[in-house]
Amino acid sequence: MSNDQLLYSILLLPLLGAIINGILGKQFSEKIIGIIGTLMVAIPFILAVSLFTSFDKPINVHAFTMLEMDTFRLDAGFKLDSLSLWMTMIITGIGSLIHIFSIGYMHDDKGFYKFFTYLNLFIFSMLVLVLGDNYLMLFFGWEGVGICSFLLIGFHYADKVKGMENSLAARKAFIMNRIGDLGLLIACFLLLSKFGTLNYDQIGLATLLGEFEKDSLFMIAITLSLFLAAIGKSAQIPLFTWLPDAMAGPTPVSALIHAATMVTAGIYLTIRSNFLFEQAPFTQHIILYIGLATALVAAFIAMKQNDIKKVLAYSTVSQLGFMFVALGLGSYTVALFHVTTHAFFKALLFLGSGSVIHANHHEQDITKMGGLKKYMPITHLVFLIGTLAISGFPLLSGFFSKDEIFAAAFGHGYLVFGLMVLAAAMTTTYMFRMYFLVFHGEFRGDNHTEKHLHESGPLMTLPLIILAILSIVGGALNLPSFLAGESAHWMNHFLEDSTLGLSLIHPHHLADSTAIGIMVGTTLITLSIIFWAYSVYAKSNYPISKEQNFKGWAEWSSNKLYIDELYNFLFVKPTEFISARLLMLVEKNMLYDSVLRLTSGIQVGGNQVRRIQTGLLSNYLYFMILGVILFIGYSLYYFKFWNY
Amino acid sequence: MELLIIPFALGLISFIVPKNNIRFFGLIGSLVPAVLTVFHLSGYTPGTLTEVFSIKEDIIFGLTFTMHYDGIALLMMLLTAFSFPLIFLSNYNRELSSSPLFHALAFFMQTGLFGVFIAGDGVLFYIFWEFTLIPIFLILYWFGNGNYTTLVKFFIYTMVGSLAMLLSLIWLKQYAVSFAYGDLIAAQLSEKEGFWIMAGFMLAFAIKIPVFPFHTWQPNTYSTAPMAGTMLLSALMLKMALYGMIKWMIPLAPEGLANMKWIVVVLGIIGIIYGGIIAIKQTDIKKIFAYASISHLGLIAAGIMIFSQNAISASMIQIINHSILSIGLFLVAEVLISRTGTQDITQMGGIAEKAPKFAFWFMIITFASVSIPFSAGFIGEFLLLREISQFKLSLGILAASTLVFGAIYMIRAYQLSMSGHKENLQFADLTWNEWVVFCILGVLALIFGLAPYLIGDMVKESALQLTYIVAN
Repeated sequence: MSNDQLLYSILLLPLLGAIINGILGKQFSEKIIGIIGTLMVAIPFILAVSLFTSFDKPINVHAFTMLEMDTFRLDAGFKLDSLSLWMTMIITGIGSLIHIFSIGYMHDDKGFYKFFTYLNLFIFSMLVLVLGDNYLMLFFGWEGVGICSFLLIGFHYADKVKGMENSLAARKAFIMNRIGDLGLLIACFLLLSKFGTLNYDQIGLATLLGEFEKDSLFMIAITLSLFLAAIGKSAQIPLFTWLPDAMAGPTPVSALIHAATMVTAGIYLTIRSNFLFEQAPFTQHIILYIGLATALVAAFIAMKQNDIKKVLAYSTVSQLGFMFVALGLGSYTVALFHVTTHAFFKALLFLGSGSVIHANHHEQDITKMGGLKKYMPITHLVFLIGTLAISGFPLLSGFFSKDEIFAAAFGHGYLVFGLMVLAAAMTTTYMFRMYFLVFHGEFRGDNHTEKHLHESGPLMTLPLIILAILSIVGGALNLPSFLAGESAHWMNHFLEDSTLGLSLIHPHHLADSTAIGIMVGTTLITLSIIFWAYSVYAKSNYPISKEQNFKGWAEWSSNKLYIDELYNFLFVKPTEFISARLLMLVEKNMLYDSVLRLTSGIQVGGNQVRRIQTGLLSNYLYFMILGVILFIGYSLYYFKFWNY
Repeated sequence: MELLIIPFALGLISFIVPKNNIRFFGLIGSLVPAVLTVFHLSGYTPGTLTEVFSIKEDIIFGLTFTMHYDGIALLMMLLTAFSFPLIFLSNYNRELSSSPLFHALAFFMQTGLFGVFIAGDGVLFYIFWEFTLIPIFLILYWFGNGNYTTLVKFFIYTMVGSLAMLLSLIWLKQYAVSFAYGDLIAAQLSEKEGFWIMAGFMLAFAIKIPVFPFHTWQPNTYSTAPMAGTMLLSALMLKMALYGMIKWMIPLAPEGLANMKWIVVVLGIIGIIYGGIIAIKQTDIKKIFAYASISHLGLIAAGIMIFSQNAISASMIQIINHSILSIGLFLVAEVLISRTGTQDITQMGGIAEKAPKFAFWFMIITFASVSIPFSAGFIGEFLLLREISQFKLSLGILAASTLVFGAIYMIRAYQLSMSGHKENLQFADLTWNEWVVFCILGVLALIFGLAPYLIGDMVKESALQLTYIVAN
């Protein structure tokens, strides 16, 4: 097959899977649905890997022109460069594993075929997002993944107890994402007006070759709009509250969409638009500080969450904050490195939590678990690996990717660096609090659940094991120079080679001695926190009530800093109030009544005049009303109110 | 000429067709004009003006009998012709479908609509414009459950507007040789006169579209009208006014455009936000869709006033999309209302579980309504918002808030009625005719979403000519 055909196959096979399962899935057995769904993601993964092995230069494919206007064209076209190839491999690779896991996890669910349809549709949309060669295609994928996310969060909409709650979570996610989409829309308009195209290459070349003033108003406006879109999709302050609620969806969904892939779309957008962001240092500062604030706030909230998935959700928000810090510092490849390792270990943790939840009869409260390591040895082991990886335990994948971010932050300033280390320390704290409460100590749930505790089947443990291996070795993609010498920073070079703009940005590398110093320092912090957490939480007689009744700062953490309440007070209530007021005061009292009076006036007047004169005269009343309207109009015109 | 005679004849025949067969006759009969318009389409070269039937010389007082269409009018004719089979089909299993009177009125209305779109003479346009009001009023009056006041309000209100249009036409005639389209365009006006002549047209159109603050007739009329009536109103009758703006109002009095632009764009954007905000708290499903319609059409009206080639093409795409959408939306409303016996969405819930086919299509229509990519609404809305932000960025951003409001009220309407679980709920899934209508609408929305050039290529030459007229 030629490269073009390969690209189309990668893109369209998931869609085909969605169509087959969507139309015929009802007749199929779970096995067939699962196999079709998984193959339609696994085959694109294999194709992507084969493209990767022979990759030398970007592939451009123009599919068709959607609309040709006088000043611009809207094209459906695709582009495979190192960045999109890398994203494609993550999406389809992790996606295949999660499909396999779902066959076991969703067993006996009434909507089994629907679940796989949505998952395949999601993969398709995500591939459109990363493979498109212009911002319009990105927008297509962007909204597509938003809809799949909406459908999957509210997947159990008819649940007897939580049906409406799930639906509300889905709605919240969709609306918050839409606020971000507004940014993407405005960015598209600005780009079209300036460059007359939405194509990445054309805009990129125009920006790189053109003489643009740094921090021009236009560049700031455009990058801020793009960043607003990224904030919505990647759950940064202030639009992050939807992601924890999105955990209402089935756990594989949380792993795939709300941890490994969709939420990194904002990072992808920023890396893709690096040439624009480089022209606007002002926006880069904003990205840096928003990322930093998100990393800290989310980590703080995660400290005292008791729902296993909520901990992981806030952890995701916090880790995305880490990535945005890297982006704000101009270290685009570093951010993508962390995207990659995060995809490994966060998918692992979510699927691991899914395995735990599955065994615990859908109990998600960690204060009702404990001592699970003897019941579920495999899950325990992989979960431990995931926890160590995210905490930055030496030589695991998270260690290297976080260290790159630390190094970048160190180069920027001590305050940012210090706060990043603090956020990482908090990460270790909440992760090990959760790990020890779930797997160590005594089981705290009811007897019935305890009797049925079991290890999950091979369909669920196999993906876990693969992800665990990836979480261990993932760091090898981008080793620091003092460890790997010549072949160091392999991933950076791979990306810089063919992604537009990246080769011109040289990330600041620290001297080896400083780099080693940072590594040793952070490692010491991590190890001491693990030791401390072990001594506190792993005890078999740990008084669990301490984790249920919080005081002081812990109360703020467990109540999520009351941000939902704040938004409710600031935005939801006022909108509803305005809506009700507009309806009463403007719609009913002013507009409706006046028109009613007008029309009944005409009727009454018409009848009376008709009695005196001929019926035709009633027309004069029409003229009168017209006159009044025209008079008002004229006075407005006379004062030229539009000039104000 | 056959474009007028055939629907009219179908209307007359409807009276004598036996009651048992009338719905079948209506459905098949309505396909005849549809085929006819396809013939016209196949013979049409983009950018030309095709004469249909004309007596060129003055008959009396400058009236002529000119009929022709360009790409824009042809598109509107196709829309009209294809909407009727869909409306009849969605009505197929309802009481209304056994009424010869209803079918006759609907065909008469189709005659009027065709007349409006092919009229090449100001007075002819006006006559057909008024003519369409009679059948729709009678449909609402005889087959709806609205009270007399609501309907008379609707009737008189639109009449007042039409009158203003007539005045403008007569005024304009002073400067023209005849009422023929070409002559009216050639009339030279001062800026002030242009503004007032345009204002007369705009009043008529603003009431019908409706543009804020002339919209108050709509929610109540929609809420009490029979489904077929609402579909005729929102899929076709409102579009007639948008067509009037593009084809008549602005080319006839371009001198007033500079000033009028501001007023209509601002009112349109107020309507987008106002309709969106009010729809958020409504509980009557038909009223939610009515306010949604105000919000959507406000955007189209504002976009038309920009009057560039792109803006006109974008408006046409969005007009087609909105017609597809409104047939879908009001069919959804009817399915919900007829099966649950209430219009209040807070009384519903748990339906998706019982009626998966319906849930699927309601979901698709909901997404199409919030203009997701792959649906026709996306490109239309994208281009319209772009044109407005080219005109003034701040206005464009305000108008783009429809993205967020639309998502809030549409998803809320869907979830309150469909999600959750209700014990002992009886809800029959879609009947075959409803299902077919939804499938057709879905396919159309997808086609125009992926290939908007199908519409764009048809209208953009004609749009360019209109902008030339305005520029000179």
